[in-house]
Amino acid sequence: MGRAVGTALLFLTLLNTATSETDYSPPGRPKLTSCLSRDKETFTCWWAPSDRDDALQTTYALYYLKESSDVVYTCPDYRTAGANSCYFNKNNTSIWVNYNITVAATNAHGSNFSEPVVVDVAYIVQPHTPENLTVVVLGDKDGTFFRVSWESPRKADTRSGWITLIYELRAKLDGADWEEHFAGQQKMFNIFSLRSGGTYRIQVRCKPIHGFWSEWSPTVNVTAPYALPLGSSMWILIAFFSALIFLLLTWILNVKSHSVKHCLFPPVPGPKIRGFDKQLLKNGRSEELFNALGVPGLPPMTHPNYEDLLVYLEVSGRDESELLLADANDPTIAATTEGGKSPNSPSDSDSGHGSCDSHTLLMEKCGEGEEVKEEQEEEQQGDGVAVGRSYGGKQRWERRGSWERNQKGDDDQEMTEGRVKTWPCVFAPLEEYAGSKALDHGSTLGTARLLCSSVHSIPLLLPTPATSPSGLHALEQLHWQPYSRSESTIQSPEHKHRRQQGGGKTTTTTTTTATTATKLTDVAWPAQPRSPFRATEYVEVQRVNQENMMVLRPLSSAQGQREGAPQGEVDYSRVKGLNSGDGLLLQRAVDAETQEEVEEGQEEEEYPCDIQEKNSLLGDERYTAPPAVPGQMTGAGKLSMGLPTAVSLQGDTILAANGYVDTAVAMMPTH
Amino acid sequence: MQKNKKDEWSFAWLGALCLVLRTPTDTVRAAPICDNGQASCQVLSLADLFDRVIQHSSRMHGMSNDLHSQFEQYFLPSRNHISNRVNRNCHTSGILTPNGKENAQRLAVKELTEVILKLLWAWRDPLWHFHQSMAHHDDFNSFSSNKALVMGDLVHELRTGVEKVAEKMQNLGIISNLVNGLRSPEQLLPSPVRPQWSLMNDYDLLFCLRRDSNKVQSYLKILKCRIVPENDC
Repeated sequence: MGRAVGTALLFLTLLNTATSETDYSPPGRPKLTSCLSRDKETFTCWWAPSDRDDALQTTYALYYLKESSDVVYTCPDYRTAGANSCYFNKNNTSIWVNYNITVAATNAHGSNFSEPVVVDVAYIVQPHTPENLTVVVLGDKDGTFFRVSWESPRKADTRSGWITLIYELRAKLDGADWEEHFAGQQKMFNIFSLRSGGTYRIQVRCKPIHGFWSEWSPTVNVTAPYALPLGSSMWILIAFFSALIFLLLTWILNVKSHSVKHCLFPPVPGPKIRGFDKQLLKNGRSEELFNALGVPGLPPMTHPNYEDLLVYLEVSGRDESELLLADANDPTIAATTEGGKSPNSPSDSDSGHGSCDSHTLLMEKCGEGEEVKEEQEEEQQGDGVAVGRSYGGKQRWERRGSWERNQKGDDDQEMTEGRVKTWPCVFAPLEEYAGSKALDHGSTLGTARLLCSSVHSIPLLLPTPATSPSGLHALEQLHWQPYSRSESTIQSPEHKHRRQQGGGKTTTTTTTTATTATKLTDVAWPAQPRSPFRATEYVEVQRVNQENMMVLRPLSSAQGQREGAPQGEVDYSRVKGLNSGDGLLLQRAVDAETQEEVEEGQEEEEYPCDIQEKNSLLGDERYTAPPAVPGQMTGAGKLSMGLPTAVSLQGDTILAANGYVDTAVAMMPTH
Repeated sequence: MQKNKKDEWSFAWLGALCLVLRTPTDTVRAAPICDNGQASCQVLSLADLFDRVIQHSSRMHGMSNDLHSQFEQYFLPSRNHISNRVNRNCHTSGILTPNGKENAQRLAVKELTEVILKLLWAWRDPLWHFHQSMAHHDDFNSFSSNKALVMGDLVHELRTGVEKVAEKMQNLGIISNLVNGLRSPEQLLPSPVRPQWSLMNDYDLLFCLRRDSNKVQSYLKILKCRIVPENDC
């Protein structure tokens, strides 16, 4: 059958070629362009006629041969697939069989065959494009993506597994190239990394495993949503930088922590005392501590009360004879003194005023004008150096320059010895003498009243300043002996010497009353016989003569004399100071005291001398207590115990309207 | 002397290592299919088995396709020579194989499985011979020669896999016992028409191989979608 057809065809072509000579030529050779199968069950072949042919007159026929068969088949269907095509349906299609296909173009003049094409349907499969391409925008604010989905082409039977398709899609931004993504056999695909706000075109195609790619599906346009500018990455950056800044700040703060602390929490200033050493305090050495605190040069003690330093010397005078304080060696003194006291007689004619050691001291002091001055100066200075003033603390006495001064060479001694003291009685031993009290207690002495019991004439007291002051403290020196009336305070010079020496030897312990402070009795009392006890008299300093002598005038009229009672009120004036002419400047006292009070005061006052007697120093000779002066003006004899006011008063002391100074003091001769 | 010994040792060691580590690139190492009762093995489902054999068949077909095209390009540049030959008898032409989808679907599972197995069995010897012939050809690149060798392994493994599938299906009751005697290829083809594969040239052999691998792949896919229809079908 095939051969017959073949020979017929050949004959026809010959005829055609023969007839072509008569202006009719056979058609040109057609050409099979392609044969494709869409589903691997049917296939279609297309041919193209030659250019030369006239479409109206040329007919085409397709003939095919199957493998291992010589049967020529013609195309079963020329219409389904369109013009110049041949469609092979399922019945005519065999898979895994080679088809030999030929197209013959025939016109009135002949026919022409195309070249044969051998096809195997299994390998010419080109499916249709995937269908239902859809793109869905998915994702949250952190990221969006496209979900592209499609379906297999309608004709391709993938359900039975006859055809296995693989897919491929492509996306394109406006102005960019296509990006292809291979999807495999799946029918869904996600596209990430979208540019926010960009418009994408997406297409998809498919292909069987051994076949041809399908055409691209129609484009689907999709727009990516706008993403938030601050994504999670942005927050991470912000957090990172803030942490960095925080670290930087903490580092700076650390570096400048000191200054910041200083600024925010200013340090509370603590108490600071210059020179104050905490360690010393901790060690318990208060002395050093205070030493460190103290300004060098200042006395360690607080400034004492001037009042306490004053010693009031009461000079008891018989009459209104003037009491002159002069140097023993001063001839004037000798001349002026009443009673013709021998200036050289050291003994004290006083009945016992000068029994106290301090009395002698005073006398020693008074033996020299300078001493007086010194005393006065000291008094002025409030040095506490006043004679008889026993200020607490031996240091004070030690520091007394006067005593040191008194320790000058033997000249003083000689002087003192030779001097005739005009002290009738320099020191009034009083029971209430605060001196001894002070001595005992070491407290400040009040004004050491030196009262003279008897005053005819001011006995000369020749204290030996040389020895006595050495190492002697005022306190010691103020050891008054009990003033016994009966006793005579007058001692022999030798005694006195001894006394003095003994006094000199006395230790500087202030508290020990046993110290053999030079007593008044040691002082060279005037050689006058012990005069009967006489109440003290007060003298008034009238003036100071040119010889630097105080002219005293006894004040008998000031107060009534009493027996056993102070003859008069004791008026004490405070020595204000020394004037330029070495005169005593006295301070007027205002207060007045009753005699009773004075008496009381007197009684109240202790008798320092007695106390001293009790506490006599070892080895000291007993001093004969000078006769006690009963009424010793308490006021005068009062020792202001620690009272600063020189105007002694415990209670009230009666002072004369006029400021009267204790003449004893005033009577101290000046050099 | 010591150096030689050292070399020998190193070579021996290297050789042992190579033997141990050598994995053919194109060989699909399938997990051992376990018998019932073996706990250590991984029990595969029918679907998994099908997937495996289908993967194997795809690989086989791909390789055969590459071989054919390479051979055609290298040895036979002119296409007319090949395309004019309409009658090309493969030695497996005697095996009745469905040549369409409907035909394949009309066949029973068992028959279809048997067809697959017949085809696979028919190609065991020709491939081995083909490999031998390819090795002697200097003009054929070693890559193709290696591919021929790999083809033989593939067909072997595919056949084993399909047999396992058949066995599984028999266990599942899907099919009855298969026909024994599938292994002898001489019985498959009718005697008068039976071509001798030894007479075929290499090109025709590759051609036939490609077609048969395609058939196997298709048949397996149909079987799978018919027996264990899943998302792929």
